[in-house]
Amino acid sequence: MIGRVVFGILLCSLVAVAVPFSRSVAERPVLVKLGVLPAAEPLKMISGDQRYLLAQCAVVKVLFYYGTLVEKFQQKIALQPEYGNMFGTLQTAVVLDPWNADAYYFTQAAFTWELGKVDEVNRMLEYGMKSRTWDYQLPFFAGFNAAYFKKDYANAARYFQQAARLRPDPLLTNLSSRYFYESGESRLGLAFLDYMQRHATDSKVIRLYQLRKQALLAVMELQQACDRYAARFGHLPEKISDLVAAGLVERVPADPYGGSFYIDDKGKIRSTSKFAFAPQTAWPEKTTPKEMHP
Amino acid sequence: MSIFENFFRLSVFSLVRDRFLYLLFSLALIALLLIPAFSMFSMRQVQELSVTLCLSALSFLLLVVTVLTGSSSLWRDIEKRYTFSVLGLPVSRAGFVLGKFSAVALLLAVVAAVFGAGSFAAIKVAAGVYPSDIPVAWGVFCAAVAFDVLKYLMLLAILFFLSALSTSFYFPFLAGIAVFIAGSASQEVYEYVQGAYGKGITPAAKAVITGIYYLLPNFAAFDLHPHAIYALPVPPGGALLTFVYWLCYTGVMLSLAVWSFSRRELT
Repeated sequence: MIGRVVFGILLCSLVAVAVPFSRSVAERPVLVKLGVLPAAEPLKMISGDQRYLLAQCAVVKVLFYYGTLVEKFQQKIALQPEYGNMFGTLQTAVVLDPWNADAYYFTQAAFTWELGKVDEVNRMLEYGMKSRTWDYQLPFFAGFNAAYFKKDYANAARYFQQAARLRPDPLLTNLSSRYFYESGESRLGLAFLDYMQRHATDSKVIRLYQLRKQALLAVMELQQACDRYAARFGHLPEKISDLVAAGLVERVPADPYGGSFYIDDKGKIRSTSKFAFAPQTAWPEKTTPKEMHP
Repeated sequence: MSIFENFFRLSVFSLVRDRFLYLLFSLALIALLLIPAFSMFSMRQVQELSVTLCLSALSFLLLVVTVLTGSSSLWRDIEKRYTFSVLGLPVSRAGFVLGKFSAVALLLAVVAAVFGAGSFAAIKVAAGVYPSDIPVAWGVFCAAVAFDVLKYLMLLAILFFLSALSTSFYFPFLAGIAVFIAGSASQEVYEYVQGAYGKGITPAAKAVITGIYYLLPNFAAFDLHPHAIYALPVPPGGALLTFVYWLCYTGVMLSLAVWSFSRRELT
């Protein structure tokens, strides 16, 4: 009898505490951490035939972490992204499973536009090309990075040629020819973002590309207006609002990354956000696996 | 009916009656049902992730069955004093050990075949939702499952040898896990030592590491998971050599198990 009474009291207490308990858990202070993965070499040694699963878990962990960052950013909650740790985790993932497409795709998506780590990303893509010998996307990404970010057209053409050999596609063939850089870098960037968005399946990544497209379209609109202003008045506008005053744009578009647009002394449109969620953190050169050393 | 056949049949009946087996099949079924859903976590390789999950789950399942049954089969019979009455009769101890080994080997093959068939459905579902650029290489998938079974049969032979040496369940259990981890890592360590790192260590240390490498079972050679996941071709020469290596290593371990068990004082 006493046992039943004690059980009844405990059960009622559990039901009574369940709602306030879950509410207090939901209201915990925001603390999103990626965590640390051990170095690639020992992990590869001890994980045996589970290394492919481990690699995918590492990629999914980075993807979830990044998705949370994007959500917090949209809720105006400032967090310091662990970009270096993210990149290190993805490097470990590709050492464990050099064929993992998700790792290369996400690296391309997250570390070029915002952080400008083009050399590091292209090194990782080069590493992936040795294993994913059938995949045209890796040389396609590397070619785009070389052309758009580095203005290294010779290397870009080489990568695009490699991609075109793997997949005879008119886009890749055109890009591999001299024509690709005559079409203008902004249009090239927009075409690339369109392509990536069309081929994405993950909603977080699609949202990320949407943000970048909005930012690029805003920059294109303002840059064209700025060039027209310079042609009309013979000098650069002092501030963005001059473009509205001159009737070249109806209004200044919003920077989807939360910053304010300005014109630098060379007449280029910039943003105080640098088109990134938060300032870049330290980069883990020491953790780079030996396979990806330059 | 031969002594081997009798012990084999008795061991199979004993395994089938074990409730642990039903728990295992229930867990396998849950895993198979969840695999298509978990595969959706991938951005670009849903089909590849479904193959990865199937092979990883199967490998884990086979490891659990091998370590638990391999460590306990001989020990349980000794503990229950079954061996005292049976082996007092004029029967061959080799037949006893080999009969038990064959029964557990059959169990491993059945687990792999059932889980492999379930994996076929799980992969089909995942691949149907997000088709990949590369086809599922079913032949290579079957080869990967078969090589996983061979790998765990080799571990089973080692566990039987350790069980024949020991009076405790814990020694073969823990030593078996240690051998499995070491055997899975030995190839990587060997290649690491042969590379640039090896120049910094003494020749004696290098020789010891190389000796241990040849002594330990090389489980890395049986890993055809990347071939099955990414539809890569399996080199036939390497596969044949791995099979011959398996035959020799397993044979040696079983011979040692029989020799050790035959010399054991059971009264």
